[in-house]
Amino acid sequence: MRTRIAGGRVIDPAHGRDAVGDVWISDRHIIEPPAGGTVADATYDATGKIVMAGAIDVHSHIAGWNVNTARLLLPEFHRAAAPRPAAPPLSAAGWSTFATGCLYAQMGFTTVVEPAVLPHYALHAHLELADIPIIDKATLAVLGNDDFLLGLMRDSAGAAAIRDYVAWTLDATRSLGIKVVNAGGSIALKENVRQFSFDDVVPHYGVSSRAIVKALQRAAHEAGVPHPLHVHCNNLGMAGNVESALATIAAAEGLPLHLAHLQFYGYGKEGPRGFSSAAARLAEAVNGATGVTIDVGQVMFGQTVTISLDTLRQFNARHQARPRKYVLLETEGNGAGIVPYEYRASDFYNAVQWAAGLELFLLINDPWRVFFTTDHPNGAPFTTYPDIIALLMHREVRARAIAALPPDAIAVTTLPSIAREYSLTEIATMTRAAPARLLGLTDRGHLGPGAVADVAVYADERDRAKMFRAAALVFKDGELVVRDGTVTQVRWGRALTVRPERDRAIDHRMTRYYEDRFGLADAYLKVPEHALGRPQPFGLVPCAR
Amino acid sequence: MARAWIGGKPVALERALAEAAELLAASRCPLITGLGTDIAGARAAIGLAERIGAVIDHVNADALLRDLAVLREAGMMLVTPNEARLRADTLLLVGPSLETDAPELADWLGLGTGGERAIVRLCPGRGARPTEGETHVGRGADQLPSLLAALRAGIAGRPAGKTGISAKAIANLATRLKAARYGVAVWSARDLDPLAIEMLCGIVADLNTKTRFSGFSIAPGDNAVGVLQACGWMTGFPLRTGFGRGYPEHDPWRFDGARMVAARETDCVLWISAFRAASPPWGEGPPVIALITSDAALGSGPAIQIEVGRPGVDHDGVQHHPPLGTLVAVEATRPSDAMSVADVVAKISAALPEVAR
Repeated sequence: MRTRIAGGRVIDPAHGRDAVGDVWISDRHIIEPPAGGTVADATYDATGKIVMAGAIDVHSHIAGWNVNTARLLLPEFHRAAAPRPAAPPLSAAGWSTFATGCLYAQMGFTTVVEPAVLPHYALHAHLELADIPIIDKATLAVLGNDDFLLGLMRDSAGAAAIRDYVAWTLDATRSLGIKVVNAGGSIALKENVRQFSFDDVVPHYGVSSRAIVKALQRAAHEAGVPHPLHVHCNNLGMAGNVESALATIAAAEGLPLHLAHLQFYGYGKEGPRGFSSAAARLAEAVNGATGVTIDVGQVMFGQTVTISLDTLRQFNARHQARPRKYVLLETEGNGAGIVPYEYRASDFYNAVQWAAGLELFLLINDPWRVFFTTDHPNGAPFTTYPDIIALLMHREVRARAIAALPPDAIAVTTLPSIAREYSLTEIATMTRAAPARLLGLTDRGHLGPGAVADVAVYADERDRAKMFRAAALVFKDGELVVRDGTVTQVRWGRALTVRPERDRAIDHRMTRYYEDRFGLADAYLKVPEHALGRPQPFGLVPCAR
Repeated sequence: MARAWIGGKPVALERALAEAAELLAASRCPLITGLGTDIAGARAAIGLAERIGAVIDHVNADALLRDLAVLREAGMMLVTPNEARLRADTLLLVGPSLETDAPELADWLGLGTGGERAIVRLCPGRGARPTEGETHVGRGADQLPSLLAALRAGIAGRPAGKTGISAKAIANLATRLKAARYGVAVWSARDLDPLAIEMLCGIVADLNTKTRFSGFSIAPGDNAVGVLQACGWMTGFPLRTGFGRGYPEHDPWRFDGARMVAARETDCVLWISAFRAASPPWGEGPPVIALITSDAALGSGPAIQIEVGRPGVDHDGVQHHPPLGTLVAVEATRPSDAMSVADVVAKISAALPEVAR
């Protein structure tokens, strides 16, 4: 089966391509355009349209106990859920796994990373991912508040032991990478510590947050995991927390490090209310630290719910819940906190947060190192992405939005002074080529021969929000799945995983550890393929070594 | 091969499946309940419910929804039993039914293993005697609502009315709880109505102003929490969700299966009980298609009965594991050729006529 997407403007930054031409698909993959005269089995006219690889989201909370608990906490939100696609099973449900896959696909996204999976909850997360149609998925396993790792560090077990543990965790939980969330902060909260910074020491274990981040960064790197350690820093959301992020950036020390939802750390203490945007400082630091990548975590106004494994942050935020209810779970490792929140355009602090996110997007020069996220749903639902693209691509769209916000809030930001407008190539870099490179997914994010045939075709509209909200055509693995912004075909994607080499002695150590500490077999936290009820639920991504 | 019965008489499986499909397709308001099954069975049953416009309920939904009512009105601080065992220096064990509802509770919490832990039982039942190291406050479950209210007032330093329990005992208890470094409250939703659960969760929240406290309720049996989770991600809603209008609607009263049967609102029930050979808890009612782990026909019961295997015994499965508070994969301890609920529901679904709804 050969498919030809004909005559579109093909924007493929990985190959430096921005030209009118054809894209050819054979079965699941992109191929070189065949010799002249070859007739395709199906041809789609893309004249006047924009053709890009399928988009990749590096950080979006779409599955697992914490997401599901947010659903159960907030039944009143579901009826308000966005457009209802009409093809897959249970398609009429508003906020379900099925809707999640369809809503992403309609925007031209074909791969999404769920970035917050506690190892003990990995099976649950994968079960939800298995019920998300169309797109490919991946999880990041969260370490850094777990007794086993901190025990290794307390006992000075050495880098090799930590690397084996990281490799074992990735395999057991079928994850693509490792994340650390407020390293040590969740354990500190259990000891009634209410504020925890980068150089604070975890009670009883005697290791600092910095040491945990450094140990995991090194372990992921040395194990050959393509995705660098994904870091959620300390002191999220607090005035003056730019210092936490700057300290973490400085601690990268040349090795790759990814900082998640950096906007939430972009706050100074200037101005009449002691709360200001420090995004410009942060952007400058990122520009100077070439091994560091970030995603933004843009805030958009409206009702949402914050879902985080940063229990310390969520504990401290519990009184700001809108509506006034929350769930905090404490368990082995991080735990989870779910706090509903409404970002209001009239609210000084929320307006500063909105501006700080856009400043990061616009002041970080290299689109290969800044990624497109709202930290869904923490800053806003992912369905707001098209609106954010419009804000980045058009000064006047931004100016109109700024004019509607409290002037005293805008006064503590640099946003009005920024003239930059993103090009389509920069958008394609930030949402396709760069995330694929960041995650080590060489088979996607581009339109070169051999790539998985994940392709999005958009009408070239002046209104970029309208354009990116509803793709004209989307192909996943070569199958047409979306036409004119509507899902036309349901299929089931895979969860992408890595399996770095390890010394198998760690397997016996983990078995003993689980028996001693939990009275259980470690098999309990594994994710067997047959449990997921889909054919070929996993796809293995190669490691560097 | 699975055994099947129609009207108590053994029949070929294919015939039972075909008749079940016919009954469900002809039903104007089918109910799928019991729903004691693993995650694969729940996913299949919920998928079937959407296709035929059925209501989804669970045999233990009452207790689940009592806790959930509090969660979604006021929120909760929660801890897993396993973490409670490792961390709690104070346990507040509430009500008389804990060990009845969770016979393994002592194991989960490491009770009776010595140590410095303070263990307080609230209203453990009129006949209960404190074991060594335990303090009891209050007696029968009927005292719990007023005791919890007085305790919350005491912790906040506010006066409380008479409760039948000495003000001094309540004051002492408040002092002890405030002195906890990490306390854990344990309750069973069988013993408490939602207002009392909210009061208890309020006590936990208030104690966190100064120290650390959390809690958990005993997970009801028949994988109720696992089925709740699957229902949540597939529909956005918990159990007692109906598909009669073509999209999921949740209503704890309207879609209460037992109420629907009593009010003759349903004309066909798919009853699922894969963990134990339980039949529906009502007498008279509409025709029942029963998927039960039983190799014999149930007495006067179901119109159609199909034997299913037990998850974790006859076949591998995924179910909620209370001590870890999460879903785990369990391997069959005595693998057999009994069909799983997911298999049977898939076969019934495949036998449904292609109706345009």
